[in-house]
Amino acid sequence: MVLNHDSVKPIYVQIAEWLETEILNEHISPGEKMYSQYQLADMFNINPATAAKGLNILANNNILYKKRGLGMFVKEAAKEMILLKRKNENLKQMVRDLVQEANYLGVSNDELYQLINDIRNEGQGE
Amino acid sequence: MGIVICDNVSKSFKKNRAIKNLSCTFQENRITGLIGRNGAGKTTLLKTIAGRWRPNEGVVKVFDEDPYDNLKVSANMICVNDELVFSPELTLDEILKSGEMFYSNWDMEIAEGLFDYFELNPNLYHDQLSKGKLSTFNMIVGLASRCPLTIFDEPTTGMDYSVRQDFYRALLKDYINHPRTIILSSHLLNELEDILEDIVLIDKGEICLHESMNDLKEYAIRITGKREDIEPFIVEENILHKKKLEFNLESLVVKNEFSKEEIEQMKQRGIQILNVDAADLSMFLTGQSKGGIDDVF
Repeated sequence: MVLNHDSVKPIYVQIAEWLETEILNEHISPGEKMYSQYQLADMFNINPATAAKGLNILANNNILYKKRGLGMFVKEAAKEMILLKRKNENLKQMVRDLVQEANYLGVSNDELYQLINDIRNEGQGE
Repeated sequence: MGIVICDNVSKSFKKNRAIKNLSCTFQENRITGLIGRNGAGKTTLLKTIAGRWRPNEGVVKVFDEDPYDNLKVSANMICVNDELVFSPELTLDEILKSGEMFYSNWDMEIAEGLFDYFELNPNLYHDQLSKGKLSTFNMIVGLASRCPLTIFDEPTTGMDYSVRQDFYRALLKDYINHPRTIILSSHLLNELEDILEDIVLIDKGEICLHESMNDLKEYAIRITGKREDIEPFIVEENILHKKKLEFNLESLVVKNEFSKEEIEQMKQRGIQILNVDAADLSMFLTGQSKGGIDDVF
């Protein structure tokens, strides 16, 4: 991943999301050791304190846990936690933006549902 | 723990007070950026910390001691700037060898590795180097000395873009492997913000802000929209910068003291909200007036 410096998202949030994706893609499995703040600092060319802030977001969301002196490890239910969190936070926000735009354009609910259905079918057709 | 502590420090040159009643603490094992405009007092502050000058007022402590004329401080500290003087009798190669004699943590492997990477000629003398090569060589000395307190004052003067990128990367990697207290002054904040942990903003000889880099980036936001839409959300003294656009639109940079709900309300009214990058923000925070160069013309 390349960090996006123009993004509204702070660097440490981008790091946290990248780590989540690593877990979702099963590059790192439950029970395994997560990258250290120093490995992340080296990989992304950022200050270790910024990397630590990204790691702490996952620790606070119960996706990682700390083993004293050993570093951070992936929790058993990490994947479920991430999916739940992304649905509740990211997806909801996207839908909020979508609805706002729909209201702005005067698109009715039925039209909006139809549009979502069409897009989903498009994806399946491929 | 504070490695460098400045308490109410002032330093004047004839009638010009370069730093005024300045107090700040640089924490151990952090990379701190010292940012300010030309003539803000960056070099004066760094030279006072490095013990080259004695302040007129106030107290400076480095490793808990007065740095002026202090052997313990000079053995554990290096201050790299473009005035770094080496004996004219020594070749670059010999300067590196003398560095090894003076600094107990000196890493010859890193010194030679960087020396070769940047294609410096070991048989040249220090005063034969171009501006960019001189800065590159001084930077190598600064990194290889591996001093518990390492100060870089405008280290990238004359370096081209790609050498600067290599320098930031080298600094970060060496810091990861050997954490130490690093103070870096520069006005190229956008290039080095990612490797900084803390930032000290200095303006007209005074500390204007001392924050973690991550907090600085969330310190302010830019709000653009119709004046009457924006107005109810704004507290006048939080405005850092104001720009009038066409069609009764205004673009304001304001301190980010908004709640999530307020942000959401603003968005619903079609007000555009963007973040402010650190370099722009420090410009607004140290600006003389809320206008700009356009006001002159």
